[in-house]
Amino acid sequence: MADFMTSTHRAKWIFSPQKLVEKYEAANQRARQTLEKCGATLMEVDVDGSLSYPEPQTTANDSAEKHSRIKPLSIEEEQCIKVFYENKLQEVCKNFHFPHKIQATALIFFKRFYLQWSVMEHQPKNIMLTCIYAACKIEENHVSAEELGKGISQDHQMILNNEMIVYQSLEFDLIVYAPYRSVVGFTDYMKEFCNAGEDELQTLKALQNTATLEIDKMMLTDGPLLFPPGQMALAGLRTSNALHNVVDFDSFLSRILSHQNSMHTMAELQESLDAIDSWVRKYRSPSEKELKHINRKLKSCWGLSSHDEGKKREKKSKHKSKKSSNEAQNT
Amino acid sequence: MGDGNRSNSNKPEWLLQYDLIGKIGEGTYGLVFLARIKSPTNRGKSIAIKKFKQSKDGDGVSPTAIREIMLLREITHENVVKLVNVHINHTDMSLYLAFDYAEHDLYEIIRHHRDKVNQSINQYTVKSLLWQLLNGLNYLHSNWIIHRDLKPSNILVMGDGEEHGVVKIADFGLARIYQAPLKPLSENGVVVTIWYRAPELLLGAKHYTSAVDMWAVGCIFAELLTLKPLFQGAEVKATPNPFQLDQLDKIFKVLGHPTLEKWPSLANLPHWQQDSQHIQGHKYDNANLYSVVHLSPKSPAYDLLSKMLEYDPRRRITAAQALEHEYFKMEPQPGRNALVPCTPGEAFVNYPTRPVDTTTDFEGTTNMQQSQQVPSGAAIAGNMPGGHVSNRSVPRPMNVGMQRMHQLQAYNLTSQAGMGGGINPGGIPMQRGVPQQAHQQQQLRRKDQMGMPGYPPQQKSRRM
Repeated sequence: MADFMTSTHRAKWIFSPQKLVEKYEAANQRARQTLEKCGATLMEVDVDGSLSYPEPQTTANDSAEKHSRIKPLSIEEEQCIKVFYENKLQEVCKNFHFPHKIQATALIFFKRFYLQWSVMEHQPKNIMLTCIYAACKIEENHVSAEELGKGISQDHQMILNNEMIVYQSLEFDLIVYAPYRSVVGFTDYMKEFCNAGEDELQTLKALQNTATLEIDKMMLTDGPLLFPPGQMALAGLRTSNALHNVVDFDSFLSRILSHQNSMHTMAELQESLDAIDSWVRKYRSPSEKELKHINRKLKSCWGLSSHDEGKKREKKSKHKSKKSSNEAQNT
Repeated sequence: MGDGNRSNSNKPEWLLQYDLIGKIGEGTYGLVFLARIKSPTNRGKSIAIKKFKQSKDGDGVSPTAIREIMLLREITHENVVKLVNVHINHTDMSLYLAFDYAEHDLYEIIRHHRDKVNQSINQYTVKSLLWQLLNGLNYLHSNWIIHRDLKPSNILVMGDGEEHGVVKIADFGLARIYQAPLKPLSENGVVVTIWYRAPELLLGAKHYTSAVDMWAVGCIFAELLTLKPLFQGAEVKATPNPFQLDQLDKIFKVLGHPTLEKWPSLANLPHWQQDSQHIQGHKYDNANLYSVVHLSPKSPAYDLLSKMLEYDPRRRITAAQALEHEYFKMEPQPGRNALVPCTPGEAFVNYPTRPVDTTTDFEGTTNMQQSQQVPSGAAIAGNMPGGHVSNRSVPRPMNVGMQRMHQLQAYNLTSQAGMGGGINPGGIPMQRGVPQQAHQQQQLRRKDQMGMPGYPPQQKSRRM
């Protein structure tokens, strides 16, 4: 694979935690402003992939009152929505039996997309599906939009409408590095490290599998935007090794460092792995009740529920009716 | 809605930063245009703009375009084209890739020598071209990228200027990163123009390696020496992936019949195993490569060539090894400007500039704006009508563009006007179905230019 060290992934898409927060804030802020001005936040993506902001609702005499009732999502609430759809994304990929690599790529696309945008601006369900579609294209496992849409009974046109926007928001940096491959590499290395015989091979296999599951969890956190894939792989292996007890992990780490001419010190590396672990521990799926509430807010931000917009929003109303919990507000 | 066939439509905003000169190439993937930058910083700088057609209906953005962009975004090397910008035309969802313009390519250089100069290419130039080609390829291979479609028309050479005579490998539409593919690579359709196709591919190998590129380099090396394609087989046109007996026959005739001794894994290759059309029965025993390329069998040039044309891909020389070959250590040594020998006394060949068809606009329709001038003293003679362009009698793989087209090039990293670090700041949607009088200003206001993040929402407004 092209070299991670010289990749756009490393150069442009690994952030400090502060920077990440700044980006989330900027997107959230922009959506809030739009809400204030226009009474809704959702951007229209047309058949041709072009975008427009909602129409300012200056004519409606009750608009001022209405706007004041619509509350924007907080950054935390946005996070909950993203978490929900990232889980969905993994689910969809599993149902399609896509290789792990595709799921990881799609997840990273999704995360990067919402560094640039608020969930109030682009519907995460659509973006999630488009990210899967794009990941399939990039990873040479082409699936037609139609096929993908059918598999989840969604209108595939929406996938195609969003495709260009997704590439653009990813700044066309489409080669991404997931930790799974690194896990395989490090496990191989471990084989040599501990001079594995027949019976150890079995344990190593188990070690690798547990690490892979660990990484599935990490992939749902902000980890992929904060750490290089190699470190995530090591964090996964460390957790897994604590369970299977295959090697002395510290000496394994120092062996790796000595071999790789790494620019990291042992302490730095340990610190990163600890940080990754704590992201996994901090991770939390929102409760259904919470989600319902946030979703309701989100729908009003999108402006999807006003009756007079019926024609315009036709496409989306399908989506609305699916999520039964969601109310005709505007009572 | 997206009416693609107005020839006189409003221009997309990003296009305004260029003066469009005309069309310089055409292929199954789309068209290539020559344009000049208008902005003061790089005024007059030539840019090749490759326009990708929209892919099949329902297939979204062209996968070829996406693949080329994603690879080019990750690589930087003096001997590889550099993508300087990506523009999007939202009207028809087509992508435009902007590259620095290269005036020449090996196809044209070889043709010029064969048809006009009637003289072989001087040794310094051959060696410099080959060395730079290998240098770029070594970079790609060490980044785990196989080009898969090397042929003379994809090897560009810079014209006058700071990078005069520098080789640029172009056209990554078929290139692949070859780490653990999810599917056998051969499922992506036939690859590599058959004349430059490695024998393992011709014999049905499913997984292939960077060695296929080295075979192509060998073929190109021979062609630089003799001005004729080395193995000019007649292509069997059929889908999918027909057995190319004639191409193999051409190879066997020159290199001798492959044997299991020389190439042990031969026995595992499908077409060999099945003895397709009695391929095992064809017998050419005497290799006569040296006489075909007019080289002494003892010369380093011959030694290098024969190592590139080694049957067994595992034993074929790699780009890294080739760069270390004795051939490059002896006089004349290769140089950066392949077209102009540093030693005086060598004949200097003035290569013609690319023909430009000034009657085609970005929409691909003929008859654009008032025709513009052609590059300095250029051969307007070459004003090629579309039909002519597409008529070069080089065999082509099914999915691949015609050969002459890939004039994208690159060179320095200077950002073009407004290119910033990111890609496509100018990705301003073109509006559709709007009366012509609408001015850009309005267009701008009408839709946000989907900015790169941080782009403040503009006046919200609604399309009609």
